[in-house]
Amino acid sequence: MKRKLLVASILGALSLAQAHAATLGNENLTISGFGTLAAAKSNTEDARFTRGNQREGTAGTNTFGLDSNLGLQATYTLSDKLSATTQVLSRKTTGNSFTTELAWAFVKYKVSDEVSVRVGRVVVPAFLISDYQNVGYANTMMRPPIEMYGQNIIENLDGADINWQHSFGDTNVTAQAVVGIARGKSFVPADHSEPRFQAPAGGFALSAEHGPVTLRFAHVQGKLKATDVKAINSLTNTLTSVGFGQLAQDISISEGKRMAFTSVGLLADWNNIVVQAEYGMRRAKEPVYLSESNAWYTMAGYRFGKILPYYAHAKYDGKGAAITAPAALARIPALNAGVKNLLAGGSQSSDLVGVRWDFAKSAALKVQVDRVKPGAKNGYLIDVTPAGVGKKVTVVAAGVDFVF
Amino acid sequence: MKKILTSLIALAFAAAALPASAETVVIVSAKNPASRMFSEQAAQFFLGKSTMFTPIDQAEGSAIRNDFYKKVTDKDAGQVKAIWSKLVFTGKATAEPKEYKSNADVKKAVADDPKAIGYIDKSAVDDTVKVILTLQ
Repeated sequence: MKRKLLVASILGALSLAQAHAATLGNENLTISGFGTLAAAKSNTEDARFTRGNQREGTAGTNTFGLDSNLGLQATYTLSDKLSATTQVLSRKTTGNSFTTELAWAFVKYKVSDEVSVRVGRVVVPAFLISDYQNVGYANTMMRPPIEMYGQNIIENLDGADINWQHSFGDTNVTAQAVVGIARGKSFVPADHSEPRFQAPAGGFALSAEHGPVTLRFAHVQGKLKATDVKAINSLTNTLTSVGFGQLAQDISISEGKRMAFTSVGLLADWNNIVVQAEYGMRRAKEPVYLSESNAWYTMAGYRFGKILPYYAHAKYDGKGAAITAPAALARIPALNAGVKNLLAGGSQSSDLVGVRWDFAKSAALKVQVDRVKPGAKNGYLIDVTPAGVGKKVTVVAAGVDFVF
Repeated sequence: MKKILTSLIALAFAAAALPASAETVVIVSAKNPASRMFSEQAAQFFLGKSTMFTPIDQAEGSAIRNDFYKKVTDKDAGQVKAIWSKLVFTGKATAEPKEYKSNADVKKAVADDPKAIGYIDKSAVDDTVKVILTLQ
């Protein structure tokens, strides 16, 4: 059923693209698209493996929902300086079925050859591959490692950004600054709810490209607010009612708490050696239940013509929340244990091997096997049964990435 | 047997003839003030790293295009496609370079646009365009 829906949406999108091209028949309009059609299966029903901020993933089940997506983009060029772009993206995120969201929608004004400004819904450049993390074809790996990319679920915001690009000799420098309000849904594994969040956010990214090597630094901050996280609200209500109002306030995100994310990344493509590595840190600037964390991954591959085998290792290390529960809470053991568990950090590492084969023009076949080793609090695995605690999970995925 | 031999010989001649006749040059409009360029600079425009010049491509899959990218950017067509898909699907570039089917069409597109940069076979050059780089 879901498979049918995806196929239908792809066909619908294609005919829509054609219809547009036909009716407008205008060379100022460019319609392009990207997508991934991939199946995945894990080896156990005792834990669920997902992407960041995703509900379904796979728990021993065959699924197309883990990695499949479809993006459609239309750009209308009004003049040399002015253009408008929209991108819609269908995929499985916090819900049970495929949903379509407006990923980008902005007007771009080219101030000069080096500076451009975009206003509307734009990307939040928190990660090395933030710009193209949903475009499978533009990536080596099947999916961004969740150890790193699960740390920050904000992908876009409504606001504005400015881009500056300049060459210093053979080194290309790009600077990007963004400000606005991010909105979305976040998946809460504890009760499978998907409360909305909102975050006024701002950040910048700096990257330098010299020959085959790109280095990138990014920093993003946001004041994250979610009024409807039931599990947290009921805990903070209880805490307040038994006299721990300050702790409740520290834990809560119903008023908005400032979080920061910083990352450094490296891309290299030299003599057929392909390397992608990233280190990221999530920090709380105010007391909040959300864990601080560090994560990194390194991927290395070697290109044999059109075939690129690769290996990666990823590690996530939750440091726990920056809150110390008052000693007096120990008087209520059950509550104390609940709070301790909430504030503790999780951990996880993964090894993965895969191969990308550029078998046709504009299409690539990928096969990837992930071996996930959950640590504290089951890492990023969810729906873990008592039998699944501490058990490694293997995920096999295969599919095709395409652009058109 | 004879036929195979003949076609093998023909093939060998064709292969030998190809590099000699196909000398590719990078061109800009005669109205463009630029006079020469290094291949590293040309690569910037064709990989979308700089928007100072507007790249004009030959047809996808054509020998001249594959050869151009191999020599100037050291990348094959698939890698170049992946780079542009990154740029296009992030809104950093509005579209992949426009492509034209022949040397004459590329030359005309370049001649008409003072910001354009293209590549054609040396034999197709005339005074509407300026050669700023000859590929070795």
